[in-house]
Amino acid sequence: MSFGSPYFTLPDFTYHKPRTLRDALELLEKYGDDAKILAGGVGLIAFMKERLVSPSHVIDVKEIPELKRLEYRKGEGLIIGATITFSELESHQVVREKYRALYQAVKLASDSIIRNRATLVGNVCEAIPWVDGPPPLIAYGAEVEIRSLDRVRRVPVADFIKGPVEIDLEPREIVTSIHVPEVPDEAKSGFVKFNIGSEFALVNLAAYLSLNGKKKDVRLVYGAISPKPVRALEAEKILLAEGDMRTLITSAALKASEELEVISDVLASEDFRRHLIKVLTVKLLTELIGGG
Amino acid sequence: MVHKITLTVNGYKRTVEVKDNELLLDVLRDKLKIKGLKAACWRGECGLCTVLLNGKLVKSCLVLAVEVDGSEIVTVEGLSRDGELTELQKAFIEHGALQCGFCTPAFVLASHQLLLENPNPTDEEIKEKLSGILCRCGTYYEIIEAIKSASNFYRKKQR
Amino acid sequence: MLYAKLVTSTVPHAKIKRIDFSKALQIPGVVKVVTGKDFPYRVGMYAGDRDLLAIDKVRWVGHPVAAVIAESLESAEKAVDLVDIEYEELPAVFDPLEALKHDAPLIHEKMEEYRHSPAFKPIPGTNIANKFTLVKGDVERGFREADVIIEEQFYIPHVSHCYMEVQNVVAHYHLDGTVEIWTSWQNVAPIRQIMALSLGIPHNKIIVRIPYVGGGFGGKAGLGWEALVAVLSKEAGFRPVKLVLSRREQFTVAAVREGFYGFAKAGFKKDGKFIAYDVKFILDAGAYADYTVNVGRAVGYSADGSYDIPNIRVESLTVYTNKIPTTALRGFGYPESHWVLEQIMDRAAEKIGLDPAEIRRINLVKPGISETCTGERLREDAGNPEKVLQTLLEEIEWNVPPEKPGEPWKIRSKGLALFVKGPAQPPNAAASAILKFNEDASVDLLIATGNFGQGTITGLIQIVAEEFGLPLEKIRVDYIRDTHKSAYTWQTVGSRGLFTDGIAILRAIEDAKKQIFRVASEVLRCPEDHLELVNGEVRVKGKPWEKIPLQDIVMGYTYPNGNSIGGPVIGRGVFMSTHTTYLDPETGQGNPTIFHTFGGAAVDVEIDLLTGEIKVLKIVQVLDLGRVINPLLVKQQVNGGSLMGLSIGSYEQIKFDERGWVVNPNFTNYYLIRIKDIPKEVVWKAVETAQSDGPYGARGVGELTMIGIAPAIANAIYRATKVKINQLPMNPENLWKAFKEQRPDLFDEALKMFIESKKLVEVRA
Repeated sequence: MSFGSPYFTLPDFTYHKPRTLRDALELLEKYGDDAKILAGGVGLIAFMKERLVSPSHVIDVKEIPELKRLEYRKGEGLIIGATITFSELESHQVVREKYRALYQAVKLASDSIIRNRATLVGNVCEAIPWVDGPPPLIAYGAEVEIRSLDRVRRVPVADFIKGPVEIDLEPREIVTSIHVPEVPDEAKSGFVKFNIGSEFALVNLAAYLSLNGKKKDVRLVYGAISPKPVRALEAEKILLAEGDMRTLITSAALKASEELEVISDVLASEDFRRHLIKVLTVKLLTELIGGG
Repeated sequence: MVHKITLTVNGYKRTVEVKDNELLLDVLRDKLKIKGLKAACWRGECGLCTVLLNGKLVKSCLVLAVEVDGSEIVTVEGLSRDGELTELQKAFIEHGALQCGFCTPAFVLASHQLLLENPNPTDEEIKEKLSGILCRCGTYYEIIEAIKSASNFYRKKQR
Repeated sequence: MLYAKLVTSTVPHAKIKRIDFSKALQIPGVVKVVTGKDFPYRVGMYAGDRDLLAIDKVRWVGHPVAAVIAESLESAEKAVDLVDIEYEELPAVFDPLEALKHDAPLIHEKMEEYRHSPAFKPIPGTNIANKFTLVKGDVERGFREADVIIEEQFYIPHVSHCYMEVQNVVAHYHLDGTVEIWTSWQNVAPIRQIMALSLGIPHNKIIVRIPYVGGGFGGKAGLGWEALVAVLSKEAGFRPVKLVLSRREQFTVAAVREGFYGFAKAGFKKDGKFIAYDVKFILDAGAYADYTVNVGRAVGYSADGSYDIPNIRVESLTVYTNKIPTTALRGFGYPESHWVLEQIMDRAAEKIGLDPAEIRRINLVKPGISETCTGERLREDAGNPEKVLQTLLEEIEWNVPPEKPGEPWKIRSKGLALFVKGPAQPPNAAASAILKFNEDASVDLLIATGNFGQGTITGLIQIVAEEFGLPLEKIRVDYIRDTHKSAYTWQTVGSRGLFTDGIAILRAIEDAKKQIFRVASEVLRCPEDHLELVNGEVRVKGKPWEKIPLQDIVMGYTYPNGNSIGGPVIGRGVFMSTHTTYLDPETGQGNPTIFHTFGGAAVDVEIDLLTGEIKVLKIVQVLDLGRVINPLLVKQQVNGGSLMGLSIGSYEQIKFDERGWVVNPNFTNYYLIRIKDIPKEVVWKAVETAQSDGPYGARGVGELTMIGIAPAIANAIYRATKVKINQLPMNPENLWKAFKEQRPDLFDEALKMFIESKKLVEVRA
């Protein structure tokens, strides 16, 4: 995942560039496990260089019109096609204004040159624990749309990512888009990240809060602390309770730092991550609720 | 399989045969001999292989050559015409914005694109746009100075 | 062109039982696979401990065991995966303190056979590649007389040079026995020397060429891959072979900077006088220590920094472990010795109740009077450390307390560190220059000075232009260094290039001027000492109308009737240090360096007690470089060295797992400072105490600029919080841990204030 490659060259494969989704699916049907989808290439090509994957067939989906969608429909939400890059999201007005957590995550992801090429769907499909795309999507309750020749299915991003580089996708399937539900006007969302220079987060956090509507809703999603992004369900409950919001935030932050399973790895120890969970939670929630 | 692809590189049409698994970086450097392009990590971290691909900065070590058939590519070699350095390049020299020079082509190209998009950048905007490129000699201060001093020419160009 | 790829060890310490490369040979395009048995050579510059490919035994994860030579890189990369190696694992040792124990696994069994330089003391039968000792005065008596004693342990992890251009070599072994090398290295001469001594090829049959180099920082000095690639070329049927390391290999196969322990005990009088210093340095040199033995020596004799310490004892051990080999990196032992010493100064100041600046002033060496710890009396014009300190204090506004940050869990603080450095080199390291005039009085300057980003060449060209009164464009130094075409220089390392090669050039200029004036004196009928060179003309002093343009002399002067005198002008000059010596093997006494450049760094930082983040707001560097030859080049070195110092101080660490594998061999997990991370401001000031035997009084400066940054930051943290940061890098997690452990009161208060302050925010919900 992050070993660096001893190799300069890529293994042999056959390159395909289907023009329609159907052609792409037929290729997948034919080659199955031996094929990989190429969009931005930022993940796949790096993985191939490290020989973490060596597909015999690479299917470039950049010319498929359906996958280039980036649409917002009032009342329905946002549809992000599989070839939509971080840069395209960054300059999309609705993303910037309405989907703040996603926007902030996108802005903080990697660097501006990589963002010109990297896609959000690719980011989700790589399922690397330390990246910024998945937490906000999970906070919004986004779903991935998956197609094969004979069916379409939708899976919440939270379930789609099963673990490090492990996703709920069959070899004959392709992720066509991500659907992010509509966000009510009174809802707020945001994203924070703690990293030491490097693009990879030690901890990141996406929060979605809808506290003034009929149905109160809180989602706190933490990335980089465990094999896959996780929600702090107990902390969320605290925020849904009645009481002085300031005290609730502190309690929720403490709760989150205790309730979650947290790992140690090359980037940070478990202890430091738990501490950061506390700090980031207080920081983000006061920003969102206090407007400060 | 061998594909015959056609690229417009720095304004010239170039046709070249590539295999499925060849990287744009290697095709540009080894087959088309565009040596201004450098590489230091081969995995998208250092940014020294940055090219303008259809008007966007991308790191060519993570792009297959066969993917970009028909595209337009600009490298640092495409900035100056008739052997005369551009004002931005002159500013890099004047402000000492290079030491070993290995990252310089990437910084010049990315700075050029930055100024085209935003001829009046703040320090923060420069930092945000150039953080994908590494310089171990530590010429970052001088690069910011050079960009600011050359920005004048881009503002004029825009008018 | 053929391409080579290395097959590297996957175990840290093992006997090689069997190498099967039959499958690799079946890959189309593979020409040959070779192993260590094919090349029974021992190579190196100082320790002389290195093999070309592992012979019988591997000593680290990454040790090259075999090399595949193929028609294309792609074929070579396919083939390396198919080389099957069977190992019999041996116990491995990863920590130098463990490696020093008598029952530790022995990494080099035949150390006594290594051809090491006379400056070093390897101890066969142990893992000690070099033992350096230094004794001056009576350290025990010093401690008995001391009022305050400080004892501390320090640590610095392995770091990589991270020059952008990876190591790469092309070698062509010709049928006539000539070997041609093209390489990305700092210097041509040592490559030739190493190849000649180890492979037995006559010097003049080895031609080493180096074009522009994408950074070196000490990591492209000494031993490289040239000897290996040369023999690969021969093995492959005298065809040219190219080897390029990947970035991963730069972190796992090429040499990096050593890991470092410092154990220090320091005694001070209550008036602040530093009277006893007992320090032990342990260098984690990894599997091969060819250049690191010299780092161990330099860290030893630089233990006293800028201070006059009457009683001092130093032991510096360069120790083998089963990790990646190590080598020099910018500063070369001095960043290590100063990381220890400069923090000791602040700890002592605190204990005694003195200002950190004051304790330094009390103990500063006095050039002309003081002796360094090697017993060398500092020359009177060696520098003005007192003025360096004073200027530093003024520029950082030492006595002005920094503003309080708006967020109460953050603290602002200023810290400083002084430093001194000279080139670590053999006493007889020479340099030379040849300059020859062309018909139009333009000059070809034939020098071997390394050109990897320091700008030294520009400074040297300026010297020639200045002396002949010629415009810069008239002086040309080819961009390729070439053993066959450049005058000899030992190496460009240790900030010595401008000094040593500058002097050689000045002497070459003098030689050429003599030839020019001899002819001009005849033509102008005027004694030689009445002539001067101005604007490319020889003129009679005081009579500028009596003159000859240089171009009428430099190929010989021709009278109207055709009679000619003189001839093509070629100047030659050398530098040879006449006062440096080997150091006494027991006491470390002698004269190790050709100059000492004094300097200081100060920082203004903001410390986040909550997250351990340090934001450096301002860096000041003051350098006594004798004479500034080119201010822009100095500024570049200061900015660049400051950022490298900050990067190594804040982020960088090669991490190993328990099996000796590097777990972060890339720029994502081994983070280098990027443009978004730079401090707002770096300021530099020169103190110019001209050294009479330097070029125009100049001294070297390149490495100096990164020595003071890390200790200055650590001192700023200590000054504000009394938290000791004895270990690099100063990354958030390490600092967070230190704050929490050493000052739980401060940390808890910060956390409380953070939460309280957030509570004060108006809550709308």
